Amino acid sequence: MADIAVHESVTSHDDHGPAAHGSITGISNNKLAMWLFLGSECLLFGGLISTYMLYRGRHGSGVGPAQLFDIPLTSVSSFVLLMSSLTMVLAVNAAKRKDDRNTNLWLAVTGLLGALFVGAQVYEFTAFYHEGVGFTTSLFSSSFFTLTGFHGVHVSIGVIMLLAMVAIISRNKVAGDKAEAVEMIGLYWHFVDVVWVVIFTLVYLIPA
Amino acid sequence: MFVKPSRRRRVAAAAALGLLLAGCAKNAPQDTFDPAGSNARSIDDLQRPVFYVAGVVGIIVFAVVGYAIWKFKDRGQDIPEQSHGNPKLEIALTILPAIILAAICVPTVSQVFSLDKKDNNCVINVTGQQWWWEYDYAKGSECGGVVIPESIVTSAELVIPANTDVLLRITSRDVIHSFWIPRLNGKRDAVPGRLHTLRLQADQPGLYTGQCTEFCGLSHARMRQAAIALNTADFQTWVTNQTEAYTAPEAGTAAAVGQSTFIAQCSRCHQVNGLQDGDGKPVLAEPDLYVLSGAAPNLTNLLTRTAFAGWTFDLLTDECRDTLWNAPPDEFGALYLKGVTAECFNEANLREWIRNAPAMKPMYTDPKNLGSTGGKTRGMPALGLTEAQIDEIIAYLLERK
Amino acid sequence: MALIASPTPTQSLGVFRRPVAATGWRSWVFTVDHKKIGIMYGVVAMFFFLVGGCEALLIRLQLAAPDNTVLSAGLYNEMFTMHATTMVFLFVMPMAAAFANYFLPLQVGARDVAFPRLNALSFWLFLFGGVFLNTSWFLGGAADGGWFMYSPNSSRLFSPSHGIDFWVLGLQIIGIASLVSSINLIVTVLNMRAPGMKLMNMPVFTWMVLVVQFLLLFALPVITVALFLLSFQRNFGAAFFDVDKGADPLLWQHLFWIFGHPEVYIIILPSFGIISEVLPTFARKPLFGYKFVVFSGAAIGFVGWGVWAHHMFASGLGPVSVAVFSVATMLIAIPTGVKICNWTLTLWGGKLWFSTAMMFAIGVIVLFTIGGLSGVTHAVAPADTQQTDTYHIVGHFHYVIVGGAVMGLFAGFYYWWPKVFGKLLNERLGKWNFWLMFFGVNLTFAPMHILGMQGQPRRMVVWPEKLTGEGFFNLQFWNQIATVGSFLIASGVFMFLVNVVVTAKKAEKAPLDPWDARTLEWMTASPPKEHNFDTIPTVHSLDEFFHRKYEEVDTDKGPRLVKVRSAEEVLAAEEAKADAHIHLPSPSYWPIVLAFGLPVIAYGVIYNLLLSVVGAAILLLGIFGWVLEPSVAEDSDYDPPTGESETKELSSVG
Repeated sequence: MADIAVHESVTSHDDHGPAAHGSITGISNNKLAMWLFLGSECLLFGGLISTYMLYRGRHGSGVGPAQLFDIPLTSVSSFVLLMSSLTMVLAVNAAKRKDDRNTNLWLAVTGLLGALFVGAQVYEFTAFYHEGVGFTTSLFSSSFFTLTGFHGVHVSIGVIMLLAMVAIISRNKVAGDKAEAVEMIGLYWHFVDVVWVVIFTLVYLIPA
Repeated sequence: MFVKPSRRRRVAAAAALGLLLAGCAKNAPQDTFDPAGSNARSIDDLQRPVFYVAGVVGIIVFAVVGYAIWKFKDRGQDIPEQSHGNPKLEIALTILPAIILAAICVPTVSQVFSLDKKDNNCVINVTGQQWWWEYDYAKGSECGGVVIPESIVTSAELVIPANTDVLLRITSRDVIHSFWIPRLNGKRDAVPGRLHTLRLQADQPGLYTGQCTEFCGLSHARMRQAAIALNTADFQTWVTNQTEAYTAPEAGTAAAVGQSTFIAQCSRCHQVNGLQDGDGKPVLAEPDLYVLSGAAPNLTNLLTRTAFAGWTFDLLTDECRDTLWNAPPDEFGALYLKGVTAECFNEANLREWIRNAPAMKPMYTDPKNLGSTGGKTRGMPALGLTEAQIDEIIAYLLERK
Repeated sequence: MALIASPTPTQSLGVFRRPVAATGWRSWVFTVDHKKIGIMYGVVAMFFFLVGGCEALLIRLQLAAPDNTVLSAGLYNEMFTMHATTMVFLFVMPMAAAFANYFLPLQVGARDVAFPRLNALSFWLFLFGGVFLNTSWFLGGAADGGWFMYSPNSSRLFSPSHGIDFWVLGLQIIGIASLVSSINLIVTVLNMRAPGMKLMNMPVFTWMVLVVQFLLLFALPVITVALFLLSFQRNFGAAFFDVDKGADPLLWQHLFWIFGHPEVYIIILPSFGIISEVLPTFARKPLFGYKFVVFSGAAIGFVGWGVWAHHMFASGLGPVSVAVFSVATMLIAIPTGVKICNWTLTLWGGKLWFSTAMMFAIGVIVLFTIGGLSGVTHAVAPADTQQTDTYHIVGHFHYVIVGGAVMGLFAGFYYWWPKVFGKLLNERLGKWNFWLMFFGVNLTFAPMHILGMQGQPRRMVVWPEKLTGEGFFNLQFWNQIATVGSFLIASGVFMFLVNVVVTAKKAEKAPLDPWDARTLEWMTASPPKEHNFDTIPTVHSLDEFFHRKYEEVDTDKGPRLVKVRSAEEVLAAEEAKADAHIHLPSPSYWPIVLAFGLPVIAYGVIYNLLLSVVGAAILLLGIFGWVLEPSVAEDSDYDPPTGESETKELSSVG
């Protein structure tokens, strides 16, 4: 194998990119990969949500979901997260128009809203902890913190991606250069939002 | 199938001879093709045809493959036509197995439901823990026409009336175990926090061996059990014997000394019903303080059983054990009810166990390994007894029957 | 597409030069070439095969006599846990990944996978995860809960050593590797096929691997959840499997088997694919009922999701669930039966060449049939309550996994060795290899059916003499036969290793097309050039290569299929139209750096969270370097990218 010199392969035509043979599915490699990843994520959250649904009533004599949740606060933070999907759409639109300035603006706003949501979640967790509901307290608490914690980590990663994207686009030499990347973050962000809608409904709104 | 026909015939002859021999010889006591009760028999009636069908299908496939190998090997023929198949044949070959499977399907589903019926007249609670089974007959319950006057808690051997539909209510105190007496029924997991049921019925008196079949940790291999089926009269005798009041050893005997050694050394975990200390106070075992599962075998009638420590080590000598195992149904009950007699007592096993149990059966008893159990052991630790103390305890235990 | 010049940062991180070595160890460690990665997958998987094999031999030695003392109870439990874990996660799956990596791009006519750096990442994650898992042997003992790791026996209370922590975290790392690689391969197959390569023109191996990647994509997150729950319980005190707090131990079983059953097909389908390539090649006719084989593969993949609870017939699910899963399980036998019929009918009317690869493939038909039929016997739920957790089951799934999957992989070794290394494996040693393994498998695993039906349960360190019975079905006799058989298998594997060494030493090169093969991977040099094809071939039919060599010619005896072009001529025609410019992704440091971070984090979770912080820092460094590195570097010997978005990868955005 070693005799295959790397130098042989010289070139102009990229065969790894979506356009190599004219992407057969019509979706770029990157986006297809993101869709597949999100499909896989559905089952991750599916498993976590099932675990929570099985265990939400199991808190012994301790505090259960009904006494614990502060629905108004969580509703507000859910609203904030939903709004961030809107600003994400604006960012993707701007990116498609190769409008780097507005892309960055909306990405930053989206990141900020996401950060607000995570902040609210941290506040909520702290409050629960002070009410005596810790990670190890009961089956309910373990599965609640695991489910919402996993979601929170997803949002946090999204925020980091958004802010990193802002930094990268600021260095763009060609306007709209990162449009596809912005679009992919958008896919991820919308997915995380939709998952929250499901979690909010099942965990907070429907009584155990 | 790559073998020449002549050799194949020889192999077939050898197999046939083997089967013939099998007809005369005694198969292993956990042979699932040798049911001894209605439940196991209904399973056997279902599985045998499935094995036959599978065997026939297998032979057809091998014959076709073998023929194709012989017929179509490269003898210089032309490159064959590049045909991509024959949809009609394909569909036929899809429907055929579907029909066979549908035929298997119907009796399977009906059996699943009938094996789950609870039309029994004897209920026994079975609890698994590392690495033994506890059997609990509730006070006042009725079992095959025999009333249980006092609660009976026993282990190792599950004694049931023959020809009676028994329902086991199975659970566990620690990890998952699985209760299995192959000749009487399939297995059922004992899951902590859940209660499962299993039907058991034996046609005739006898001893039916079994084994825990869900991996349950270090000594999974040494968690065995047996079901003892007795006819109604014998079962009545057994119940009476088990519920008899405690008789203290005669003063001055080795057994009497053994009683105080037992109280000092063993009774914190092992219950002997009716045992009283020097002040006449009942001695109550508190295994929950020392053992992780919170239980240790009740030794009230230890010597009515034929093996101990998860039915692993014989209390009978090999000879007496074989006699009992091979006893015909009509003699079995009487022989079993004799318990462990002096001439049949396998002292070496019990002595070694009391001296150093973890050496015989691996258990978590080393204080260094107890980890997060708060000092509780899993299984019986080595107690560091002197030989004299062991003698005394054995003398005492010999009277527990 | 328009070629627009796009600016490229000159150096990654502004510090490191890109690795450019074309030879030596650096050309392997930093490679992103799917073929080199495939070979590395194969070598590492083979190493773990030997490790798992030694574990198996120790198990068989322990069981060769009643109350044997070769292994202690604790060590035995670790041995069977790690034997299964190693064989499934560190041998069969990665070996299938080795074949998939090497041949998928070649079979669909691509120059590499969709994401070459992610491909390298998958490999390093697998390697580090596997090594991490096995270091447990030296750090207080390996996992001892069985590969199914049922709760609550897997809790810290019942298994206080770190073994299970290593197992959980190791599998988590290997799981990430498989997930990344599944996304990568699906995108490759869906998006990067050569012109004319319609889905129904794809080789069956590619099809089966595609199905497997979808199974992985959806099964892995489920086991990931289960593993998270378990590690949160063991390491951070969560309550998930704490029965005292009301936990239901069946939760683990459901999560595990929802993953675990598709896993069975993840293991077997690649080998189905391999033999579906080998049989037509050596029968000189197309696979019988290609569409049926493809659809039945997809059907197996689909129905495979609805049968997980047949592993739990004795768990106490209640009669309704048991009945439903019993019927679903029988259903899955139908597409499996279709496959066996099709392979047999592929032989029918052929012109059979019994090369070693062909013998292994026929061996798979025979052995898998046995495994499949014994499988039907436990689809019958009441019968399964007798059979489950006994050696009958062990016999069944070893026929499927060793007789089906492993023999299939060996068929692949012999078939594709000349493609990968340019030399033919020795056929004489190959026949020895085959017959030793074939008889070995039957001697080892057929007796296990008898052992199980005679009442010998699995996972028992000892079996007592008093329960062995007499006569033909005597347990001791069949246990000894099984042990002898296992050493026959081992000697078969040894023959293979000898063969590899002998072949490596000989100078003789393999002909370009030694088997008169049918699919695209043979329409290039052996070993293939780094860019695979001088020009991307245009595909017209299934078995494209065959149809370029053979044409129907009218003779006086009517039309006959005649070889009109040699492989060399076909290749020369392709080379004549070679693309003037071919560009390949540059090697990269970052996959290995990023992958290295994960085991460090995992050690930290077990020993000291500070170490996890260090691991996380390495991970972040890896991601940072990766994102800022263009997939093709200016300062390397590779040409800079000229396409607009072609060189972007998933990772380039985070």
